[in-house]
Amino acid sequence: MSNDSIFKTFLVAFLLCVVCSVLVCLAALVRIDKEAYNQQLELRQTVLAAGGYQQQIDDGANVDELFTSNFERKIVDLASGEFTTAVDVATYDQKAAVEDPALSVKIPTDKDVAGIGTRAKYAAIYVDNNGTVVLPIRGTGFGGMMYGYISVATDGTTIKGITFYSHGETPGLGAEVDNPRWKNLWPGKQAYSDQGTLAIKVVKNGKFNPSASDAKNTIDGLAGATNTSKGVNGIVRYWFGEDGFAKFLANQKAKRG
Amino acid sequence: MAKAKDALLDPLFNNNPIALQILGICSALAVTNKLSTALTMTVAVTLVTGFSNASISAIRKHIPNSIRIIVQMTIIATLVIIIDQMLKAFAYEMSKALSVYVGLIITNCIVMGRAEAYAMKNPVYESFMDGIGNGLGYGLVLLTVGFARELFGSGKLFGLTILSPVSNGGWYVTNGLMLLAPSAFFLIGFIIWGLRTWKPELQE
Repeated sequence: MSNDSIFKTFLVAFLLCVVCSVLVCLAALVRIDKEAYNQQLELRQTVLAAGGYQQQIDDGANVDELFTSNFERKIVDLASGEFTTAVDVATYDQKAAVEDPALSVKIPTDKDVAGIGTRAKYAAIYVDNNGTVVLPIRGTGFGGMMYGYISVATDGTTIKGITFYSHGETPGLGAEVDNPRWKNLWPGKQAYSDQGTLAIKVVKNGKFNPSASDAKNTIDGLAGATNTSKGVNGIVRYWFGEDGFAKFLANQKAKRG
Repeated sequence: MAKAKDALLDPLFNNNPIALQILGICSALAVTNKLSTALTMTVAVTLVTGFSNASISAIRKHIPNSIRIIVQMTIIATLVIIIDQMLKAFAYEMSKALSVYVGLIITNCIVMGRAEAYAMKNPVYESFMDGIGNGLGYGLVLLTVGFARELFGSGKLFGLTILSPVSNGGWYVTNGLMLLAPSAFFLIGFIIWGLRTWKPELQE
């Protein structure tokens, strides 16, 4: 039979498609099985890193064990600042909710210091046994949306850690938001002033004055990454602001007395 | 056997796909800022070129001429998807670092070029060796570029600190250009220059 006959052409194409699609299916089955776990592991690592457990992870602690024995997922209604059961805590997807008009709110341009446009009504947060809350944050940096977590101690103002898990910042400059040395500038800083007003800020690299009265509210920016530093400044100003977690943190503090 | 050996070794220097044929540049720019990503990409491309060449060669006498490019493409795409899925399953961090570039092996001219130029005309074993050789030739350039970029850009090799960078309190001022894709252009240019000075017969 000639290779170029119509029948042979269809036969070869058909057989090839059958063999290839079976192989692709098998590969996809293996991947689907593992991927959900991989994503969960990544989330847990990020939450632990932001929550002040980076040292234990570096020392080789079991991420799943460390996470499940310390953290609990909860949903916060940002408008009231209270925990809510309006959505299912196990399945709620905050990123997807941003796209859903029923679950999100538009942010007026003048309040949108993080450059996010729309935010979900409910935030999925992680609460440590010791009372620390790990809060999801996001906003526009220099190279697109930056996603991360920031953790706050029980006093509702002392920051315990920050970690970005997804960003498009320039390698070597803005991407230094991942540098442990820079992240170590954050623990101990205060989100709010003694009077309770929003005070946290990221200043241009080198403008930080350790002896100024607001030094405990100020983080030195990244060298050579002015726009990334501005982006992070906007992100923390927004999420610690009235539109973000300010009510929630104040409520938590009030409950603890 | 001598032919298989030539097929394996020729693409390393004498007929290097990147340095001589200037193929596969796109991924060579994108994945070489770290040695670990460059190595993973090398292994992925070598497996794809090797097995696509072998399987195309195995059925070369039955491929209708009118659909041969699509047949080659389907086989290559299948292999690339399998590798992509395996990376996502077993090396999740790495698959995130390589992002779309694993999937883009499908469009890597080296793979298609070897299938059309070699595997369609030669027996399975030689074709397999030719595929592996071309993958390694590609990888050789990738690893050389990756070595220079990671060492001078981050002061590290395979993630281990060699030159302690200023950003971590050391002495080495990192070269930011090395972390960006254009630096690979310069480095590949130097490699091509060096190779053609060493082997003048490669000059066009």
